[in-house]
Amino acid sequence: MDGKMTDREDGGMGGRAAETVKGAPAVRADGAPTDPADAAGTAGTADLLKVENLKMYFDTPDGLVKAVDGVSFTLNLGETLGVVGESGSGKSVTAMSIMGLVPMPPGKIHGGNVLFKGQSLITISEKDFQKIRGNNIAMIFQDPLSSLNPVYRVGKQVGEGLTIHKGYKKKQAFARAIELLDLVGIPNAAERARDYPHQFSGGMRQRAMIAMALACDPEILIADEPTTALDVTIQAQILELMQSLQKRTGSAIIMITHDLGVVADMADRILVMYAGRPVEYGTTDEIFYQPLHPYTWGLMRSIPKRTAGDKEPLTPIKGNPPSLINLPAGCAFSPRCPYAQPRCHEEGPVLVKLAGAHASACHFSDDPAFLENSPLHDDEDADTVAPGAVAGMAAPEGADTRRGHSDG
Amino acid sequence: MLAYIGKRILQFIPVFIGITLILFFFRAVIPGDPIKLLAGEKAMPDAIYEQIVKANHLDEPLYVQYGYYMNDLLHGDLGTSYQRKTPVIDIFAEKFPYTARLALCAILIEILIGISAGIVSAVKRYSFVDALVTVSTSILISVPVFWLGMLLQMFFGVFLKDATGGAFSLPISGAGGPISSYPTWMHYILPAVALASVSLAYTARVMRSQLLEVLNADYIRTARAKGLSRGAVIVKHALKNAMIPVITFIGIDFGVMMSSAILTETIFNWPGVGYEIFRAIGQRDWPIVMGGVILVVILIMLINLIIDVSYALFDPRIRYGKKAGDE
Repeated sequence: MDGKMTDREDGGMGGRAAETVKGAPAVRADGAPTDPADAAGTAGTADLLKVENLKMYFDTPDGLVKAVDGVSFTLNLGETLGVVGESGSGKSVTAMSIMGLVPMPPGKIHGGNVLFKGQSLITISEKDFQKIRGNNIAMIFQDPLSSLNPVYRVGKQVGEGLTIHKGYKKKQAFARAIELLDLVGIPNAAERARDYPHQFSGGMRQRAMIAMALACDPEILIADEPTTALDVTIQAQILELMQSLQKRTGSAIIMITHDLGVVADMADRILVMYAGRPVEYGTTDEIFYQPLHPYTWGLMRSIPKRTAGDKEPLTPIKGNPPSLINLPAGCAFSPRCPYAQPRCHEEGPVLVKLAGAHASACHFSDDPAFLENSPLHDDEDADTVAPGAVAGMAAPEGADTRRGHSDG
Repeated sequence: MLAYIGKRILQFIPVFIGITLILFFFRAVIPGDPIKLLAGEKAMPDAIYEQIVKANHLDEPLYVQYGYYMNDLLHGDLGTSYQRKTPVIDIFAEKFPYTARLALCAILIEILIGISAGIVSAVKRYSFVDALVTVSTSILISVPVFWLGMLLQMFFGVFLKDATGGAFSLPISGAGGPISSYPTWMHYILPAVALASVSLAYTARVMRSQLLEVLNADYIRTARAKGLSRGAVIVKHALKNAMIPVITFIGIDFGVMMSSAILTETIFNWPGVGYEIFRAIGQRDWPIVMGGVILVVILIMLINLIIDVSYALFDPRIRYGKKAGDE
């Protein structure tokens, strides 16, 4: 059995590396050929996961909820994408749509596509999707206690995927589950595998969830707020664990969070979402060092600063996310945006690529004067007492942006 | 675990004493002289009356009677029937198997039909089948057992017999035996269906709502995310969780069927415990009434204990007498 496992691991890694080198694979890991039509449509693009203008709406008695409205991104092996936004911004629904776990009805795909290795996960049959779920794309959920079945031993649940996808016998799967639990840092894994979820602490449960998600060596790991329910110290451990496991397995990660701080160290690229729509997309460096969208600024300003001594009040984004049934006219963020102009209330901005892949959905993102409002300049103003900067700060925001508006 | 069971059995004692006190209270306030009833329509000579009253300590104050009764009870003696002159324990030893077999049949029907109807209507939510289950369970819950019993008797015993020219019908009375023209097992059908009807409807409803609730749980989503098919998710992950309250309900129901199947047993002339107690009340045959109720109470307490203990088998979060977790 040991031999089988190492074979499997090596084979898995080797196979995966080969796939990336070759580009768009003609054959899936399980041997089933990919749909040639789908593969042809994305020929040459070798993307592991490509989400194109995905629209997931919910038909509710109160009206149509546009939970995800035009999200696009690509993801390749070894990469980490951070999806950031407040509650109700559509991050989780995006993840669930990729996993095909949105109950339909009430959910309905209103357009767009999700391509996994060139194969559409929108048109795929449920039976074929089941072969991908947990096997090629795995997911870690927010609340590890309620996400584990209370009546089964942790080891059984961790190893279950192996019995479904890899043909393991129950005993083999349990033995492998112990190895996986050990890998994610559960002490005394052989004994703890026989525990039930309620006997685990919060951090251990999330580790077990990670072990469960990793069981079949998935190419893509979707983590939906994996640290939200955990203590801060445990949060750091879990993030570190995910990073080290990613290095080891080379998988791609989609990290969904409301906390920019969580993705700062981990993500290669970041997608900021608001009211079901992408508002800014770029590399982590771009998002943190040249943020273009006022909503991103708001998120950055609401991260508690670690300045010693003086206690600064937190700067939250005022107001609440809008109802997804009755979105405000124009830019969805305009009612909460401190820099909103009359145009913002009338005309909805589109996501425009500005520099390279860095894109923002704001009318003024290409206006250098407007970008002076970015929180990066908050710090500069505080540190260096440049007269110009101080003047810029001191000037009424309205006046500043109005100037920007007339220029643009 | 053993300590828990021991504690629970100790709790039986106050319940037990309470039951005997209540029984004695009702015995005192309910009118009717059981000894006079012995003679039927004829008057009983005073000398004989006095003799029987004295033999049964009925001339003593109530608390003294209670003392006598409890003394006998603690020696395992439930007394002797006034009417039949046979020990109460013998009477119930004869009646009990009939009630137990009937309850068992009813419970089987309840489990088979109730649980599967509940599962189907939860899985096919808002479908035609679901609507059918909802409507028929509503009807079953609202229909009184004695009326349903009579309808069954009319349909299967009379109407069907006439319609088939006597070729097919189901027995509507008794539990079979040498004088019955039907095989014994057929005698179980109608009383068991009548007895199961209301419980079956409740079981289906509890099963449906529990399963729907569990299917919304996060761990069901996890199971789906692992790549399990919908069927496998329901069978492997949802049912075990959803069954816990259903098993409680069925367990308690079994206790109730063993004791208070009075209506069903009376309508179908079933020679069981409920019918015996019912008859004894009419005759003010107190030893039978009290002995019967005490036996039933003990039985229900034991069944409840078994249910509580069996929880631990289904739900690992419940571990009696052990600490809940070691985190």
